[in-house]
Amino acid sequence: MGFEQILQKTWRDNILFSVLVELTYRCNLDCFFCYNDVGLRGEPLSTEQYFAFFSELRDLQVLNLTLSGGEPLAHPDFFLLGARARELGFVVRVKSNGHALRGAALRRLRDEVDPFLVEVSLHGATAATHDRQTRVPGSFERLLANLREALELGLRIRINSTLTAWNEDEVEGMLDLAGSLGLPLQIDPEVTPRDDGDREPLSISPSRSGMARMFTLQAARARALAGPLTVAKGADDGTLPAAVEKHCGAGSAGVAVDPYGNVYPCVQWRRPVGNLHQQSIGEIWTTSAGLREVRALTTQAKGLVDSYGPAGALMSFCPGSAVVRDGDPLRVYPDALRRMEVLGEVVGAEADGERRAILPIVP
Amino acid sequence: MHTDSQAAIDTATVLRPSRDIRYRRIDGEAVVVRQKAAEVLVMNEVAARLLDLADGRSSVGAWIDVLAGEYEVDRETLERDVLTFAAELAAEGMLEIADGV
Repeated sequence: MGFEQILQKTWRDNILFSVLVELTYRCNLDCFFCYNDVGLRGEPLSTEQYFAFFSELRDLQVLNLTLSGGEPLAHPDFFLLGARARELGFVVRVKSNGHALRGAALRRLRDEVDPFLVEVSLHGATAATHDRQTRVPGSFERLLANLREALELGLRIRINSTLTAWNEDEVEGMLDLAGSLGLPLQIDPEVTPRDDGDREPLSISPSRSGMARMFTLQAARARALAGPLTVAKGADDGTLPAAVEKHCGAGSAGVAVDPYGNVYPCVQWRRPVGNLHQQSIGEIWTTSAGLREVRALTTQAKGLVDSYGPAGALMSFCPGSAVVRDGDPLRVYPDALRRMEVLGEVVGAEADGERRAILPIVP
Repeated sequence: MHTDSQAAIDTATVLRPSRDIRYRRIDGEAVVVRQKAAEVLVMNEVAARLLDLADGRSSVGAWIDVLAGEYEVDRETLERDVLTFAAELAAEGMLEIADGV
């Protein structure tokens, strides 16, 4: 069996393979469009509870463990938890804003946590734009210095960004900046509402022309670098979509956990399906009625997306995002349609002739 | 290819998974990630079993004792196959000799 078949199996047979843990909602930045529900209250999981949770995940053969937040390094026991994750043999990813990744903390991250990948956030190509989003003056310059330091230490870094009305004119600069550092840049063209349903972040959604420009730039660079144009769609943990009867692995191969032990089908689908204060992850995984329902919904979502034909894959439709927008995981929201339309135009133009045969590509 | 790792492995050798790899068992097989190379491999059930047995405490001879109860094969053949496979895994950087043993 190859890796792709393994992934298909995890989705099809509901094998928990990837877990994202939001260790804390504390953060040293104050991003305007942060999706966290910072008003959520509850009893935070203790470090001992995390240790037991991680051990159980290891016994369940979970491979990917992503430490996220908030800012995960703001958790007082981040290094203890990260070191335990490493010791238990997970492929550890850390999603950080990068602000604290310097000096001793950076070295401890490398030496004690030994992450497979560190993902950091970039919000613009200029200090004015980046700092406008983070609402912390100096965060842009500090991020760049931290990235250089991290690279010198040999950490594997990926830059994540979200396209917004504020940075849509700086995409070329962001790509250049990432290129000058030798780092991959992944730009998500979709701003989402906050997890509590607050739609304020949508006020800085990118324009249609901004989105088109970004796709065009990406297509041009992909063509220059790699030849055939591809439209990538990766899961949150870096794994690739599996060709099975489900639209995504939410609740089938992965879950997300908030700082208070609430378990969700994925980081975007904020429907609690259990709580680690009351049940073990093994119990939740096998008995949760909510998870069973989510698994059925992801099957229906595949039918929904497939009904749009090959172009449906360009939507990057997310049932979780649909829920937070309209309360219905099976309602295609306008931003997904717009993305399909715009990307279709860009990719379609690129796809004349021989390239047409490879659309849509889901590597 | 015959490397030092291969030459050094006998029934008294104690091995453990290399620090560079992460692995899990899925449906009998092992999904192995080589962290530095950012490479994913899927290894068969026998390799997965050896990765499980390589706990940094048990000798290769002890693995053979365990496997003798699991496979219908004469001990001489089993020992030869296990030593060969362990050496190959070590040469591939999947296993390493445990320190301080």
